[in-house]
Amino acid sequence: MNEIDPAIATLDGKAALPRKNGELVFQAPREGRAFGLAVALNEKRAYPWNEFRVQLVTEIAGGNPDYYENWLGALETVLINRRIVTEDGIRRRASEYRALKRDPVF
Amino acid sequence: MGGKHGFGKVLAEQDEPVFHARWEGTVRAIFERTSGHFYNLDEFRRTMERMPPDAYLRASYYEKWLYAIEAILKEKGVVSEQELATGSSSAAAPAPGARPRQPPPLAPRFKVADRVVTRNLNPKGHTRLPRYARGKRGVIRKVNGPFPLPDSNAHGKGPDWQACYVVEFHGAELWGADAHNGDRVCIDLWEGYLEPETTA
Amino acid sequence: MTDQHHDHDDEHNHHPEAPSDVAARTLALESLLIEKGLLTSEEVDRVISAYEHDIGPMIGAHLVARAWLEPDFRELLLADAPAAVRERGYEYRAETRLVVVANQPGIHNMIVCTLCSCYPWMVIGLPPTWYKSAPYRSRAVSEPRLVLLELGLELPDEVEIIVWDSSAELRYMVLPERPDGTEGWTEEELAAIVTRDCMIGVARPQVPRMAVTG
Repeated sequence: MNEIDPAIATLDGKAALPRKNGELVFQAPREGRAFGLAVALNEKRAYPWNEFRVQLVTEIAGGNPDYYENWLGALETVLINRRIVTEDGIRRRASEYRALKRDPVF
Repeated sequence: MGGKHGFGKVLAEQDEPVFHARWEGTVRAIFERTSGHFYNLDEFRRTMERMPPDAYLRASYYEKWLYAIEAILKEKGVVSEQELATGSSSAAAPAPGARPRQPPPLAPRFKVADRVVTRNLNPKGHTRLPRYARGKRGVIRKVNGPFPLPDSNAHGKGPDWQACYVVEFHGAELWGADAHNGDRVCIDLWEGYLEPETTA
Repeated sequence: MTDQHHDHDDEHNHHPEAPSDVAARTLALESLLIEKGLLTSEEVDRVISAYEHDIGPMIGAHLVARAWLEPDFRELLLADAPAAVRERGYEYRAETRLVVVANQPGIHNMIVCTLCSCYPWMVIGLPPTWYKSAPYRSRAVSEPRLVLLELGLELPDEVEIIVWDSSAELRYMVLPERPDGTEGWTEEELAAIVTRDCMIGVARPQVPRMAVTG
């Protein structure tokens, strides 16, 4: 029923997307959002999927058990390396959300 | 914590086991059994981030998880400080999905069909009383809770449990005569936001 | 209906809980990318809805379909939605309390969260972008009839609208009325016409024109 993009299917082993009964599982809105961002940007050719995959594997190897935190870290790194965003820009924008200066609405 | 790029290279161990010690596996298992039942992932993350900064920086991932799980289950009344210290349970835990154990039952101030008026709060900080509903008259439709008022938790004073009511407001009361007759708005309001309506 | 990321409410009438660090970074990244014109929120929505299945509108749709078929289940769903979800065999994630409100002849229900954009995402998936937008969140309470019209639903004058503002711990979902022309349908067939918009309360289930009967 879901046609998983073949590229995304290359995520396996520790890098495999969390699933239940074969379907993707998100435990919080921010997980689905991070997933959507990475896939949408790849579809728009912001970066090749393999570049993201390699970075994801690296993040996971760091030992953090939170899959989608690793996913987000990988995406940030790829985008920073490609100068699409800056680390400082993310940090500043994130503190605005933390301080509730921006609506933390997913 | 933001980007972790200032912390040096991440050292990935060769052929590292999934868990370094059995206790990590146990923490993971506890997380999987309790997450989504007694708390959600967002609450879990926020609780983890309340760890004292120096401890947070030194702690391994699973140490942080253990901290958060303990803190959150205590907060929700699933386990007590004493149970954690002695390692034995003194009462049955609430069934997953059920409301967690809470402080002694409160007598709600209002009951269904009571006429109330919302306070005209103008707080500097956060509130769960929508601005459009301040100083407005409504009717109690349902009594819920008690729920802990989140604002109190945020200031480290511990949860302030209050009954929570579904209060129905006529459109005309909120928006004036232009409102369509019969249309109404139901808002979930904590007891502290409500006063009895004194005028008949 | 865009611009979900700015809310210059001078009293910071937001949901008082600050997002976690990871959630804030996710919000930050998405908002930066949108500002740079690299993608839209709707594009992200589309990807997510293409891939999510187990957690998504289908759970809610099946609850509705079963309530249409079985009066006892309908009663349970309206009295104790979490119990109904569990009874149906779904894992009920009790982070918040689900409440189902029923449309009836003469009464139409609509859901909003004016303070942020709370949403029963565990049974109807991630919310659409317009639901999170400032215009929807402010106008759904003050001019629901007009908002519905803009979203494609016109209600007769004699139908009263109840707007539920989920300002606290409850998450609301609408049980729409069963449309005519669905007699004899199976639960699967019924669930297929219950969309996310129906369960938010901005649409009604539609019987496809070319539906084959029997």
